[in-house]
Amino acid sequence: MKNKIFITIVILFCSVTIIIGQKDTSQFQNQNNKADNHPSITNIENRSSFFFQKKTGVSHSKQPINCKTCHSCEYPTKNDPCLKYCPREGMMTVHHSPDESPEIIIMDEMSTRFGAVVFSHKLHAQMSEMSDGCQGCHHFNTTGPILACKKCHEQTRQREDISKTDLKGAYHRQCMNCHRQWSHTTDCNSCHLPKNDDFKRKISEEVSRISGKNHPPIILPTKLVFETGYSKGPIVTFYHDDHIKLFDLTCNSCHQHDNCIKCHDLNNKLTHNIVESQKIHKVNKSFDDHHKPCVACHKQDHCSDCHSTKELEPWSHEKSTRFALKHYHEKVACNKCHIRKSQFEKLSIECYSCHKDWKLGSFKHSVTGLILDDNHNSIECNECHNNMNFSSKPTCENCHDDKSFPKHLPGKLRKNNIMNNSKSKITKK
Amino acid sequence: MDRRNFLIKTIGIGAAATLGNTNESVATPINVLSEDRMGVLVDTTVCVGCRNCEWACRNSHNIPTPPLEDYKNRSVFKEFRRPKEYSYTVVNEFSNPQNPLLPIDVKFQCMHCDKPACVSACIVGSIDKLPNGSVVWNSEKCIGCRYCMVACPFQIPAFEYLTPIEPSIRKCDFCIERTKEGKLPACVEICPVEALIYGKRSEIIKIARDKIKRNPQRYIKHIYGEYEVSGTSWIYISSREFDKIGFPKLSNKHAPGVSEAIQHGIFAYFVPPVLFYSMLGTLMWINKRKKELDVEEESNES
Repeated sequence: MKNKIFITIVILFCSVTIIIGQKDTSQFQNQNNKADNHPSITNIENRSSFFFQKKTGVSHSKQPINCKTCHSCEYPTKNDPCLKYCPREGMMTVHHSPDESPEIIIMDEMSTRFGAVVFSHKLHAQMSEMSDGCQGCHHFNTTGPILACKKCHEQTRQREDISKTDLKGAYHRQCMNCHRQWSHTTDCNSCHLPKNDDFKRKISEEVSRISGKNHPPIILPTKLVFETGYSKGPIVTFYHDDHIKLFDLTCNSCHQHDNCIKCHDLNNKLTHNIVESQKIHKVNKSFDDHHKPCVACHKQDHCSDCHSTKELEPWSHEKSTRFALKHYHEKVACNKCHIRKSQFEKLSIECYSCHKDWKLGSFKHSVTGLILDDNHNSIECNECHNNMNFSSKPTCENCHDDKSFPKHLPGKLRKNNIMNNSKSKITKK
Repeated sequence: MDRRNFLIKTIGIGAAATLGNTNESVATPINVLSEDRMGVLVDTTVCVGCRNCEWACRNSHNIPTPPLEDYKNRSVFKEFRRPKEYSYTVVNEFSNPQNPLLPIDVKFQCMHCDKPACVSACIVGSIDKLPNGSVVWNSEKCIGCRYCMVACPFQIPAFEYLTPIEPSIRKCDFCIERTKEGKLPACVEICPVEALIYGKRSEIIKIARDKIKRNPQRYIKHIYGEYEVSGTSWIYISSREFDKIGFPKLSNKHAPGVSEAIQHGIFAYFVPPVLFYSMLGTLMWINKRKKELDVEEESNES
């Protein structure tokens, strides 16, 4: 009897909480819809370009983070989101592409001694693709839309919470950290427009100069030769082009935290030559940081695989494995043959080790250059290719006493004969 | 016997007073270390070396100031500079082994020690430690002995050599006139990157600890000024060891501790001199008494 009462109480309690919960979420959704029509909520620090960030909207509750990271209460609503004070646990928003971002942002909230700054946000976002991305600047962003700096950073320096930088400090820290590296100056006028009566015209001039601009495509190097401090093998040859093509890499699969100075430097015109620029701007990295981009894939390799005393030839499948990637194999992706991920384990040279499904009728023999005649087209492969060994010379003796390959052929050759190559290969062996 | 007990007791009290003084010295004439005293946290990893603080400091202290444009000149960083009588704060630049393109810029000024050596060295009491944390100089009392310059572990006080009549000791006064009006110190207000955080000393120490905890790769585990010379109002955090960026290596004991203990020990409330002379007197009295007793014994025998 007691148990029954207990169970009914539990069921009642659960249903009540579910109902309340639903009420709350419906309230939240209603208000969210309202918010869409209300520009002030999504208003990014921008007056000239009214670009709205793509909102993660209602689905933000489905993001893979614990609700309690940001909300302190059980049922947060739009009216009372009970947000914890700026949960500083890293970026939580999904990545946004630079093209989604506002193009130009005019910052003139606190201009006292200096004029406004016309900030080419999209250009900078494009450049940031190779160095930290959105979160390079929008740190500690919660789920939902990407927040403008002034959403968290207060405008006054004399304030309650001094642990968080004020807006002026936040802006300057973001900009000057890179700008002073490549411009070698902390000159205010390199970003700020002069503060005079003419400033409105200046702003519109600056806006029209920047708008529509995109970062020029980056010229990809084919080969990079690094001189390192490793005495046993100071020279590392890196075939940039091959890596991209072979492994189908994008820029930021390797370049995630690059410094702007890698390309941009006012003092140095050589920087378009990436090797030269790296010689000049040698940044002291730790051993691990230096090797991180390579070791991510080259886990089991030895030092001497990359470090040498001379420039290395580009890697060739033929030289290293004695299996030339020709014709059809040339276009096949690596992982079609090397199935085990991240380990390019040694495969047998035998065709049959991969082509297990080769059997009568499924293989078009003409691709080898030899068109089989009707008699031969209908016999099993291993009648001629003993033990399904396709790399060595086929035998005729099983059926014919007086015939031998390649003197007698079981069909006719195609015009541009591939067989000649394989013949020579066979005779060599 | 009563007299003897009294003497023993007074000697004991006197010794305790002097010994007590050496162990726990008072450093500041009036101990004014309030819980709410203010301080500034300098984050040297943030400072960009724009030298706007130098300009603002001179400007707010009514010292003839070159235009702000002149402060763009970064060639001044070639040599290590110290605060002068006409510039109470200077920014120095040090190389950064981690990234040569991001040199470490360090603003330098009076640290406003909690137990300032200059205050205890001053023989006329013309430097005061105020309850808000600032150490300020008072021109009316100063006799220009420059003991404070010698005493300061950071070599901060500067003397107006070129002012023959009534020269003054000049140093950062923590913008005492501005803070009285509820304004921020001039340098804190102008800093474009907010490398300087003005707040209660207890609070900024918490912030500093928090920053180091959050970014262990960015900062070394040392808050300069938290314990150095018994604590300073200005505290620093950095990415490089502090002795490499122009700071002296100092012990956690405040500099005046030893010297002041001796000085105060010798002259504290005039008890030690009185005790010394009374001890001599007692010895003389004992000797005299012995002689009298001897004479009495001799006369008794005879």
